[in-house]
Parts: sequence; structure tokens; C-alpha cells
Amino acid sequence: MQDLLTALVAKAAAEFTSLQSRPAFEAAKARYVGPNGEFTGLMKQMAGVPKEQRPVIGRLINETKGQIQTLLDTALARIEAAEMQAQLGPAIDPTLPSPDPGPGTHHPLTLVREEMCRILRKVGFTVADGPEVETEFYCFDALNTPADHPARDTQDTFYLPESARFGNVSKKDPGERYLLRTHTSSVQIRTMLKGPPPIRIVSPGRVYRRDTTDATHSANFHQLECLYVDKNVTVRDLKALLDYIFESLLGKATKTRFRPHYFSYTEPSFEVDLSAQHLPKVKKEWIEIGGCGMVDPTVFASVGYDPEVWTGYAFGMGLERLAMLLYGIDDIRYFYQNDLRFLKQFA
Amino acid sequence: MKISLNWLKDYVRLDASVDEICRAVTFLGFEVEQVIRTGAPELSHVVVGEVLVRDKHPNADKLSVCQVDVGPAGGVKTIVCGAQNYQVGDRVPVALPGAVLPGNFVIKQSKIRGQSSDGMMCSAKELGVAEDASGLLILTDRPALGTPINAVLPPGDVVFDIEVTPNRPDCLSHLGIARELAAWFRQELVYPEEKFNGDTGTTVRSDLLKSVEVEAPEDCPLYTAHVIAGVKVGPSPAWLQERLTAVGLRPINNIVDIGNYVMLEYGQPMHAFDARKLGGQRIVVRRARDGEKITTLDGKERALNSRMLVIADEARPVVIAGIMGGEDSGVSEATTDLVLEVAHFKRQSVRWTSKRLALASDSSYRYERGVDPHTALEAAYRAIDLILEHAGGRAVGPSFKIGGEAPWQREIVVTHDYICEKLGFEIPEADMETAFRALELTITRTEPTPARGTAWTVNIPSWRDDLDRPIDLVEEVLRIYGTEKIPAAVVQSPGLVGDDDPVMVFNRRVTDYLVGHDFHECVNYTLRPAAELRGWVSQTAAAELALANPFVEDQSHLRPTLVLGLLDTLRLNQSRGVPATRLCETGRVFVERNGQNLECAAVAFVMAEDTARRWRQRPAADFYTVKHHIEALAVAAGIDLSRQPLVPVVGSYNGWQEGHSAAAGEMAHGWGARFGLLNLAMVKSLGVEGKVYAGIFVILPEKLGAGLERRRYADFSLLPASWRDLAVVVDAATPAEEVRKTLAKLARAAAGSRFVLENIAVFDVYQGAGLPEGKKSLAFNLVFRAPDRTLTDEEVNPVFQKIQDDLVAATGYAIRK
Repeated sequence: MQDLLTALVAKAAAEFTSLQSRPAFEAAKARYVGPNGEFTGLMKQMAGVPKEQRPVIGRLINETKGQIQTLLDTALARIEAAEMQAQLGPAIDPTLPSPDPGPGTHHPLTLVREEMCRILRKVGFTVADGPEVETEFYCFDALNTPADHPARDTQDTFYLPESARFGNVSKKDPGERYLLRTHTSSVQIRTMLKGPPPIRIVSPGRVYRRDTTDATHSANFHQLECLYVDKNVTVRDLKALLDYIFESLLGKATKTRFRPHYFSYTEPSFEVDLSAQHLPKVKKEWIEIGGCGMVDPTVFASVGYDPEVWTGYAFGMGLERLAMLLYGIDDIRYFYQNDLRFLKQFA
Repeated sequence: MKISLNWLKDYVRLDASVDEICRAVTFLGFEVEQVIRTGAPELSHVVVGEVLVRDKHPNADKLSVCQVDVGPAGGVKTIVCGAQNYQVGDRVPVALPGAVLPGNFVIKQSKIRGQSSDGMMCSAKELGVAEDASGLLILTDRPALGTPINAVLPPGDVVFDIEVTPNRPDCLSHLGIARELAAWFRQELVYPEEKFNGDTGTTVRSDLLKSVEVEAPEDCPLYTAHVIAGVKVGPSPAWLQERLTAVGLRPINNIVDIGNYVMLEYGQPMHAFDARKLGGQRIVVRRARDGEKITTLDGKERALNSRMLVIADEARPVVIAGIMGGEDSGVSEATTDLVLEVAHFKRQSVRWTSKRLALASDSSYRYERGVDPHTALEAAYRAIDLILEHAGGRAVGPSFKIGGEAPWQREIVVTHDYICEKLGFEIPEADMETAFRALELTITRTEPTPARGTAWTVNIPSWRDDLDRPIDLVEEVLRIYGTEKIPAAVVQSPGLVGDDDPVMVFNRRVTDYLVGHDFHECVNYTLRPAAELRGWVSQTAAAELALANPFVEDQSHLRPTLVLGLLDTLRLNQSRGVPATRLCETGRVFVERNGQNLECAAVAFVMAEDTARRWRQRPAADFYTVKHHIEALAVAAGIDLSRQPLVPVVGSYNGWQEGHSAAAGEMAHGWGARFGLLNLAMVKSLGVEGKVYAGIFVILPEKLGAGLERRRYADFSLLPASWRDLAVVVDAATPAEEVRKTLAKLARAAAGSRFVLENIAVFDVYQGAGLPEGKKSLAFNLVFRAPDRTLTDEEVNPVFQKIQDDLVAATGYAIRK
């Protein structure tokens, strides 16, 4: 019996090492330990073994069973490893490019807008929006622009025909004309008319000027404006905001300065210059970057805020101009051509 | 406006450098656009010399060796010279060693082709006085030898081109700018001394001007006319010509030049007539008659109408009021007697006429911005002084003054504390008083207040119509104090934070989604050409979305879609050989609906054929790719497209390809989506190669603002499911969703309350061999599950059979075995 068992293990060991596939393995397994297997047959002979020999033979059989199982496990592990290897195919070349298109890119104007909005959100500004088709009241009258101001000329501002009707752009006065907003300041008016102060909004958006398209002008471009209305807002607060914005955006080395200026909707009014000579292509010491001022009491009166109680500041700038400065872009038309070689540079 | 530094110095002492003056102008609130230097710069070691001897250079054909006498400046010098235009005896500028000519050209003693040279004889260009470089500047006046050249050359000047803001018409004059600079540098402003005071003595020559009538006082509140007899018209004196030339005006004759000079000095336009050319010796300020004509000084005939104001004689208009004079009533060489008009015209009237005639002048520019009527007479007297001085003649009567200045009296009361509160920092009272006085804002009363510091009553001069309220004085104080001194501070932001506008939130979300799916975000223009809308959108859109006053033809309409802009982008990239496949954009579009337009938020994307050559090809995008993306975009707007009816596009409209594109939503419900293959013919005609799939989602901003309903959790079973597959044969044209819905309804009914149909999805679509012509097979996978037990075949099989029986009974569908 012992010889028989030893011979069986030797035979199994030889046979199992040559197994290459799972079906061959299953067949081999059946030949030994299946219901009609050789080892199963030997085990069945235990019944005929004399009682006194049984403990010895039993131990032998158990040992043999263990040996065959080990051989089977080894063979199975080898076959499984080969199977997994077969799933893989040839090794990859990590230096080949991905054949998928991409990655996608955000437009530089979006990147600049979002960066500004993030900076402003930290000091409590939230984004407000308004229609691009506007009326004379929201774009001019409420902002204290005199009726004969050149900005209102059909020379400079796009108008819609008298007959045009816009279902979701409200008019203050049924007689006024629709136009394409020349600045995002109209959003300030709509926001103030919507609810009481205090207010702290930033309104980025598209604006229109009836202008020749060239390297620095475009029929439409984007502005970003801030409006803060509260009690006791001062010129110094306004300067602090501008310093904060541009230090956040361009680093501590950045300086701003105010030059007195004139806008009908602010008093006093300033133009804001920026000194940031660490930026690419910046040659001048001071670059004009936007306009600002303290909200004119007339504007408060036109939206029903008491000018004796409320004070505020407003700041506006061109997003293209800022993006051109930040990235060193020298032609505004690139923003609107969307050449992929351009778009891919800002991701 | 061009401002001459020499001229400014007549009124204010300016010792500061040009840079400091620029800085002052800038911080006073005016932009210096350009600084132009004219005339000779300061030149030392450049003197007058005379050529005594001119010999040919022994070693050079084109050079001469000259002996030049510079008199007391150093005697006779040997100078090598290459110019040809001079002769022995000519006096010329000589730069001696030590001179520095413009361009940092240092003159030294040197050797030229072996011949030593003690300096250089100069051309006008080398001295920086003119562009002429053709030869030496010959000093034909023969000034004394050794005279420093600056004493001979016309003095240099610095001209500032200053942009004056519209609120400061008073600064469209040298006196106005001088007043500002005087305030900045804390200097006195010296006004021109005036001799004439309106008194014409006893001489009255009514034959020169018999009457002045103003028929339209609403447009001409003030009209003055003075008569000057016996003038001699001729060229202006050199200083006057130089000043006018420096600021860009062409000298004409002494009378015209003086008119211009005083206008640039005071900001008050004026006009001189030849008295003898005034028909009937009369002046009538009246409206033009419709169709009346005048030939203006620029030689053009202008047709007038009855809204335009003119100055006329008894028969015809001689001046378009405040804008330009007529050709034949002006002053000429033959003029001996003048009528000088100094008047005030309403800005609206001048502006309207100027615009209507497309005719602007220095005069109309000033009237449109606002001229102070209270300086009219002062300016008139100043002009008369200059005329009498430089053209001779006598001021004779009668003088006319019709109408009058609206009475001017304005005071503003402001307190020290008010100003500091608005500024947010402290400025001492004394500094504020200094600022007021410097700007000629006279303090008429100073009063302490119990809690607000000193209260000043400030008198506002007539030329500062822009100052009307205490806040306006805050700006004046700050300007003179200096905006550079605003102290730094930390941003104060007491909590007010709200939500970002829903449109912005939507745009961010969809853009992030698309960029995350390898799209490139684009920005295209809003304005589109009419033909494009007519061809690919609709005739009504082309009619309703037109601008009243487009600037260029191909930007005449508001965009009704973002897709056309993205096609532009595809075309541009293709034409530049840049492979472009996936592009997207967000922005406003304008949708025409029932005769009115709606301004909508929109997101769109295109997927063009991938033309890039790749080492491994990926499957191309198709209709179902764009459907996938448009569903994701709709989710950002809170809309579940799977619950919305999708309509295949029938007929090639709006640029979509029939049978290969679909639509969902309606603007009546505030939103709409279109997606699929773009019309092949449109894409081709727009110059884009290959098939383009696209999607656009449009929504009213107010619809995005509506709050979304909060979702509720639904319980789900953790027990195993039971699956069944079912293939249904239907007409090829039957939408899969229709079959799925029918099947789902029947399955739910059949399962009743025993268990639930958890999911039903199509997993195979087949058409072809084995199926009748015109039919297709749709295979569905049905997933059943019970909340409390594992489903058995005994339970599911009868239900599954009932579903099949009910389906066949209820529809014309067949079950595919």
C-alpha cells in the first residue's frame, strides 16, 4: 500500500507540472481525487485493511492526500498566473501619448474672471448678473448720465429698433429704447432696485461699444465691477479694496494709485493705475487698469436709497485688459479667435 | 487740448521741471497724453560764427577745411565741414568742444581725415530746431559773433496734450490749466491786465453796426458786439504766431489769430466780422430758414434748417452760431472795420447743429462742453486790447449787449468732519482752507460747530458749474491735498455674503463639466451677420434680432445660438492647420418667440471629426455622445431630460440635420435643447470640413433662479434581483422609448404589488436578416426585485409570461423568440 501511494504521488507530481490549462487541470484533478480517481480508489481500499494496520495506513493516506492537494494547488496557482499573464498583452510604452483628445481648457477670460471673483468673495462680494440688452434708464439715466451725453450717441452705443420687444428685460419707462449695455454698471442699478442695502456685489459680464475692432478695441468685451453700499463707506476703504485686489492677484510688490477723474455716477472719481513691473511686457511704470469712485448721491436717489444715510463705492475694469496684462497678450482679437494654440496656453 | 508751457508762464510762476508739471496735471485729474518739445533746446557752447576761409580738405573730396570766427567766444577756429550750402562770409551756428547736441551728441576737438577740427558747424536738425538737414543753418540776420545760439533761435517750448474731463470745460483754456497748476504749486494766478473797459468815448459810428437783434434768446442768452474801426489786417507778431503754432493752430492774420488766442486763453470762443460786409449793417441772431444755405470757412456749402441758430445780416446767414463763420463775411486783408462778436450759445443747440452738419470746430467743442457766460465780456475786452495793440484802430460805439448772464450766486456749506468722514482719514482744517483758496473757492464764512469741526461757507465761482454739493468739495480738497496720500488700510468686510447669481453658477458648472470632458472653452462675438440668421435660423429671427445701428455689416444681429460662433472657431482652426475637435461656450443668446425676444443663458458644444493623426484611433462621436453630454448639461439646470419628450428634428431647420438630431423642451416652459448632427449643407457652406455634432441648451435666467425641489430618499432592497430578457419586433420607425414605456407599464401592472420592476433598459437593437422588411428588434432587460425576499422562478415566470401576452394583445408588436 505504501508503495502504491508513493508511486501515485510521484506520478501526480510528474503529470501536474505539465498541465497548461484549466480544463486539463480539472481533468487531471478528476483522475486522482474525483469520484473515480486513482487516489479515491486507493482510499476505498481502506475498508479491506485489517483493523490493526488501519492507523498506519490511515496516516499514510492522509499524508498522501496532503501531498496531492499541495501538488494540485501549485499547479492551479501556476495556471492562474499564466491565465492572468495572458490577459495582459504586450507591455506598454509609457512614453507614447494618450490617443484621447484633451485635456480641455478654460478660456483665459474665464480664468481671470474666476480668479477675480475668488479674491473678491474672500472679502464678501458675491456675483450679480443682469441682462446684456438694457434700457436707457438702467444704462444711463439712473447712473446720472445727462441726456445729451456723447456716450448715449448712436455713434457710440448699439441700439435696438424702436419696435423691438424683449419679454424678459424690464423697462423703467415704456418709451425708452433698448440698447446693448455699454458697461456692467446697469447691474448695480438693477441690484439696488431689487432690495435694500447693504450690498456687496461683483458683476462680471459682456459689454458693447460701437467701435472699430483692432488690437485693443472690440465690439464686445468684458468688464468686472464691484459695488459696495453700506453706512460710512470711505475713500480710504475703496483704496484698501484696490490694494487688496491687486496684491492678491499680482503679489505684494504691486502698487496702486488713484488719479482724480470724472464719472457721472461717482463723486469723487478716480482712475486706478497699477505698478507691476514684474509682469511680462510691462514697460511703463504705471498702467491704467480701471475706474472707481464713491457712489454719487444722485445714483442713490434714483434707486430710492437715502443719500443722507447710505454711502458706497464702485470699481470697474476691463477683463480683457487685465488678462492681456497678466499673460502678456498684445492683441485683444486673440480672445475671440479661439485658436487652440492660444487657448491651450492658459490651462 | 494742447497747452503751451511758455504761455502758462504768463499767468503762473512755474519753476518745476516738465516731469513735475506732468505729474501735477495728472494728479489734478487730467491725463497728459503727450509732451511735445518745440523750438531749440537749451544749448550751451553753441554760438554764432562767421566763415572766413573755406578750403578743400586735402584728403577728402566732399569735405572742406574752414576758418571760422566765433568772436569773443574763442576767436578763429579751424573746423572741418561736409556741408555744401554756405559761402565765405555766411554766419552759422558753431558748436564748440563741450557742447552737447540733441541725441546726446558730444562735441570734442577731433581729427577728421588727418585734419584737426575745433568744433562743428550745425544744421537746423542738428540743433533740434527743425527737420531740415540739407545743409548748415544760415543765420541771414547776421547776429553778432559769439552770441549764444539760444539768443538767436526762437525760444523752445513744451506743449502738453492734455485730456480734459467733460466736467471741467473751464480747463479748456490756458488760464484754466494755469489756475489748477497755481493751486497745486501754491502760486498766485496772474490774470492778463486789461485796458479796455467797454468805454468807447464819444465816438459813435452807427454806420458800421446799426442794430443787433436776438430772435432766439433761448439758444442765445447773451450776445455782445463791439465795433473797431480803422484796423490794419496783416500778419500777427512773431510771439503770437509761435504760440498758436505751438498748440497746433495755423496763423491766418492778426485779427483771426487774436480771436483764437483769446479763445485758447479764456476758453471763450469769439468771431470777427468785416463790418462792411454785414448787409444793412445789421446783426440778427435767428433760426435758419429751412433750406437756407451758407458756405462756411472750410469752403463747403451747408444746407441749414429751422432748428439751427445762425448769425445773419439783413439778408443771409453769415455764421452758424458757435460753430463756424461764413466764407464771405470773414476778415480779409482788405478789412478795415470790425465787428467782434462774443456771445453765449446754449450747448444743446450747438451740439445738435454740429452733429447734424457733421461740422465741429474749436468753438463748437467749447460751447458743447459749456462756456462760462460770465467771462464773455472779460474775454471781449482782452481781445479788443490785443487788436488795438497789434492791428491798430479804435474801439468805436455803439457796443451791444443783448440779454445777459444768468445771475450767478452759489455757496456750499461744508464741515471739516464731513470731508474727513467721506475720505476716511484726517486732513487738517488749514490744509482744507488752503485747497479752497488755491482754487479760488472763496471762503465767505468760517464758523465753528459743536460737533462737526469748522463749517465753511464756500463761494463757488461762475466757471465751476460742476461744484454743487458738499461731496463735490470733498473731491476738490482731495485733489489739492493729493490722492497719493490716501493712507493704506485693511479691507473691512462685515458679513454680507450671499449666493452667486444662478446664471454664473450654471455657467461655471457646465463649463467645468465640458472642460472635464476635454472640450476647449471658447469666447465668440455676440453680433452676427444677417445672412447667416436668414439662412440657418429663421426669417423672423433675422427680422427681430437686428440692431438699429450696426457698425459693420457682418455684425448686425444679436446671436440666437452659440453654435454658429463655434463653427467659426472650427473653421479658423482648420484653416490654420490646427486640429480642433471639441469646443464649447457659454453666454447669452437671444431667442425670438411669438413676436418678442427673450434674453437667455446658454451653453453649447460642438464635436467635429478628429483630424489629428493618432497612433491609435478612438471611436468617433455620434448622436448618442452628444445626447449624453446634453443630458449632463440639463442636469445642471435641474432638468432631467430622461423625463422629457425628445422630438426628432423633422425637416432641415435651424441648421440641424433631419433624422440625425433631436429637440427637447420649449421656451414656453423657459428652456430648450437641440442636439445631434448639424446640417451638412450649413456646415459646408460655412467653410467647415467634415461632419459636426453639436448640442445647445438654452434657458431663461429667471428659470435658473427658481429654487430646486429638495430630493427625497427612496428605500431600496438589499435582496438579489431576478432578470429577464425580452426581444420585441416593432416597425423600424417606432421610437424605442415608446416601446420601453409600454413594456414598463405592462410589467408594473403584471407584477402588481407582489414585487417591483426595478429597471428596464434596451440592450440590443437589431434590423436585418431574420426579420421582416421594415421591422426591427429591440431587446430589453427587465430587472425584478422584492423588498423582503429572494424572488423565485415560480413567482417571476408567470408574471413574465403575462407581460408578453399583454404586450402582444395591447400592441401590434411581436415577441421575438
